[in-house]
Amino acid sequence: MTSPVIEIEHLVKTYHVPEREPGLRAALVSLIKRKTREVKAVHDISFQVQPGEIVGFLGPNGAGKTTTLKTLSGLLYPTSGKVEVLNYQPSKRERAFLRQITLVMGQRNQLVWDIPAADSFELNRAIYGIPETEFRQTLQELVELLDLGPLITKPVRNLSLGERMKCEIAGALLHRPKVLFLDEPTIGLDVTAQRRIREFIREYNARYGASVLLTSHYMADVEALCKRVIVIHHGRIIFDGQLSALVDRFNVNKTIIVRPGDEPIETARIAQYGEVISEENGQITLKVPRDQATRVTTRLLTELPITDVSIADPPIEDAIEQIFATPDEAVPAN
Amino acid sequence: MRVIALYFKVSILNELQYRVNFFVQVLQSFLSLVVALGGLVIVFDHTESLNGWTSAELLAVVGVYFIVGGLIGSLIQPSMQMLMEDIRQGTLDFAILKPVDTQLLVSVRQIQLWRLMDVGIGIVLLVIGLTQAGAEITVLELLAFVVMLIAGGIIVYSFWLILATIAFWFIRIDNILQVFQSMYEAGRWPVRIYPPWLQFMLTFLVPVAFAVTVPVEALTGRLTPLSFLGAIALTVLMFTVGRVFWTIGIRAYSGASA
Repeated sequence: MTSPVIEIEHLVKTYHVPEREPGLRAALVSLIKRKTREVKAVHDISFQVQPGEIVGFLGPNGAGKTTTLKTLSGLLYPTSGKVEVLNYQPSKRERAFLRQITLVMGQRNQLVWDIPAADSFELNRAIYGIPETEFRQTLQELVELLDLGPLITKPVRNLSLGERMKCEIAGALLHRPKVLFLDEPTIGLDVTAQRRIREFIREYNARYGASVLLTSHYMADVEALCKRVIVIHHGRIIFDGQLSALVDRFNVNKTIIVRPGDEPIETARIAQYGEVISEENGQITLKVPRDQATRVTTRLLTELPITDVSIADPPIEDAIEQIFATPDEAVPAN
Repeated sequence: MRVIALYFKVSILNELQYRVNFFVQVLQSFLSLVVALGGLVIVFDHTESLNGWTSAELLAVVGVYFIVGGLIGSLIQPSMQMLMEDIRQGTLDFAILKPVDTQLLVSVRQIQLWRLMDVGIGIVLLVIGLTQAGAEITVLELLAFVVMLIAGGIIVYSFWLILATIAFWFIRIDNILQVFQSMYEAGRWPVRIYPPWLQFMLTFLVPVAFAVTVPVEALTGRLTPLSFLGAIALTVLMFTVGRVFWTIGIRAYSGASA
């Protein structure tokens, strides 16, 4: 019974994008004759997601994350390769399949702008053919979990971005999908709203055993939710495994935070010990290679008038940045 | 069906929020009424009949022009404009991922309630026109009129759908819709009064003839069985072509961004 929920094998997706030179003349020419260029958005990726898993999908803009999500949800036809979700072929968009999945895009709205979310929810109820009692129950749970309360009776246009996103998510989950594709669900939200949505995703996953594939630019999202991450870069998977393994593998640096004593120290002097990445409130942060961290700390304490020094792992962002800065071949896939 | 009914309800709720729109629409309907009637008055200052159509009959044509225009403006056009907007912004994704027929869904999503005012005006004009013309309308003629009105509606809908579907390839085509609008204005007169090339365009390129002239012909005893059958055939054809366009377009659609 542990057959994977999502199965992708050797997926390739190529776009034909119109291309034209800048300028009016070229624009006019392109009206008649459109040049297109082939862009490989996804280049031979394979992975599986098990039931109940939350998988973080990381990569810089244009890495192929959204393309993969769209292919999985059935919006795009794969150029080649095998894609299966819940044993369906997504691109056929069979109704039985569509009833069991949902796609949330942080940058796009699906709620009707001018009416309260509650009315949009009713529409979704009719579209998905959700029985009245089940609908009431799910809605009540969602309202509670997301703390929607009075929000759903206000016109959507009057809601703040965070409130709107919460309503979007509720609307996308009324039919209790088994697979959730969340494309940057927390983009542009403040920290509180982000945390709320994060907690909600975790709770929904625990309660319904739904599988979640999540993309986000905020590492906090990924750290809080995903044990497993898949890193995609230039349309290829360059890492697939535990989040902790990702940090170990790619973090080659440590940060050292230095607090000088009463007399200030010139930054130039500290810069001799490592790369200064920030300097605020008299506190200086240095980046040094991991294997030298201890030695540098000792030297700092003996050679400079310093009251306090602490060593930390740099944020995962740095690890990720490190990965994306590395040429493809240098990073072996798992 | 439940979905359609609910969309109607939601759209109506939506419209009721904006009362200003109501007054703007009153003004707009009034203006177009004045323009249409003014045109009639000017023409019949000079002549008794226009290509066999009396002034009363032409009033009936204006009536149907208002009815059909109101129906298109309230039922067809808003959803199609929303469709094009969705294609441009990539929000059509959500509609595609709903477990109902996407064409149906995008065709009923939005209505403009106040445009139905034109339908009311149209009915009044039609009744006045027919009474003045002293037309005795048989049940059969009335039936033919309704059938032709529905056929015209489906033709215009399919036409719009095809235009909107072109957005799948060209993304921005608002201008094409302007073309439709101005061509539709020509439907204020029976298409038979126009020169042949324009008649041809208004019949087959932009199906104004079938939307307005043919239904009126049904009421004024001008409808031949041939054009009746032709209208039905064209309805089926247009609807099928629309569906095919739609299916191909959806396949070509790949969202506004990667």
